[in-house]
Amino acid sequence: MKSFRTLLKNELKLNIRNMNMVIFAVIMPLIVLIILGFIYGTKPAEDGAAYTFIEQSFGALCSISICAGGLMGLPLVVSEYRERKILKRFQVTPVSPAKLLLVEFLIYVIYCIVSMLTLFPAAALLWKIKIHGSFLLFLGIWFLTMVSTLSIGLLVGGIAKNTKSASVIACILYFPMLIFSGATLPFEVMPVTMQKIISILPLTQGIQLMKAAFLGVPVENVLLPVIVMCAVTLVCFGISVRCFKWE
Amino acid sequence: MQTVINVEQLSKSYGNLPAVDKLSLSVKRGTVYGLLGANGAGKSTTIECILGTKNFDSGTVSVLGCNPKKDRHHLFQNVGVQFQEGDYQPEIKVSELCEETACLYEAPADWKKLCEQFGIGAKTGNVVKSLSGGERQRLFIVLALIPNPELVFLDELTTGLDAKARRDVWKILSELKSNGLTIFLTSHFMDEVENLCDEICILKKGKAVFYGTVEQAKTASGCENFEDAYLMLSGEEEKE
Repeated sequence: MKSFRTLLKNELKLNIRNMNMVIFAVIMPLIVLIILGFIYGTKPAEDGAAYTFIEQSFGALCSISICAGGLMGLPLVVSEYRERKILKRFQVTPVSPAKLLLVEFLIYVIYCIVSMLTLFPAAALLWKIKIHGSFLLFLGIWFLTMVSTLSIGLLVGGIAKNTKSASVIACILYFPMLIFSGATLPFEVMPVTMQKIISILPLTQGIQLMKAAFLGVPVENVLLPVIVMCAVTLVCFGISVRCFKWE
Repeated sequence: MQTVINVEQLSKSYGNLPAVDKLSLSVKRGTVYGLLGANGAGKSTTIECILGTKNFDSGTVSVLGCNPKKDRHHLFQNVGVQFQEGDYQPEIKVSELCEETACLYEAPADWKKLCEQFGIGAKTGNVVKSLSGGERQRLFIVLALIPNPELVFLDELTTGLDAKARRDVWKILSELKSNGLTIFLTSHFMDEVENLCDEICILKKGKAVFYGTVEQAKTASGCENFEDAYLMLSGEEEKE
């Protein structure tokens, strides 16, 4: 346990020093919130809606950090460590691959938590958002979305040959998810066919469910996406630990 | 005397290129063993096969009675390693690298003391990449000693060090050896080998061409100077 804490502390320090994730996972969501705030303020999402536009977008705002960490940060850090032979140095120590991966994983969980903890008070203070639905349900879905998306990133970092291919795969995953999952463009304005295709992305499911939980809108078929997200998490974790390559 | 490393008939090739060819060697506890040979003779490949970081084609390897691939968690509690091309996280500080290494072991040595012993005690707050080549080399020896190991692997341990620093490193290693540490090293400096090694093995194109002590190497080659003996035994001289 002590080694886990020390690794986490040092790796987190290094990650913050690098600043990339501070910008993409913490500052960027705040900027998007502020832009939305200035455009929509406390206006309702549509005429006669019981909730405001920002309330409707809150789940999507929380997913920006998830996306940044899981699809850019985590795969790049793991593959960079492999390419720079830092993992090889760890290979001749008693540390297990699972422990190293978990440390890196947790760092991005911390970013996601910080992002949520800055977004909510800011939005509540400036644009008076309120949770219309269940806070616990929202947190649960947020958590599942986060671990499933981060575990995809872990898998990419675990199996990519080098930093370059990890970054290509990360971009292929990151940009469509960021643009089409509803994190930036509203899901509702897309054509139905497209909605169907992108519904496969775990992030899309997560954002839709977070939105519903936040707004207190009843959702049909919660079970399926929850099962999918759990399965994605387990499978990705399993494969990345199993097929872990030090070099 | 107890055998710490036992390698039998180790072979490893990259494609059709044999890197190590039927190499056998054994290292006794509390001794310094030197693996010598020209660049590309197979020294680093041998070390990596012994450590289990590379798969070998045939042969057996046992380190402290363990299979280094299967028992790595247990084995590396007691083994320190300095790789020729050791790398570190881009922005990491000396203290962070040492702390992060120390935390992986059950009974680590005091890294602050080690840094002082190796003359980098004043640099612990610096970023690793800002250190000079010699300081970094010494840091990597410190990292290999942090586990409080029974056995340490040092691949080209004093490359990049100045004359004084090399002498200091030799002195510390001799002290550690007298406390029972077993050292497996590779080096291109024959004065260093002569000074430190109890036994040597000279590799030529992956094959062992000489086993024995430095004195035996001199006798076998008929040379008075060990560097001449090495060049003759390793066949380096013929080329010129």
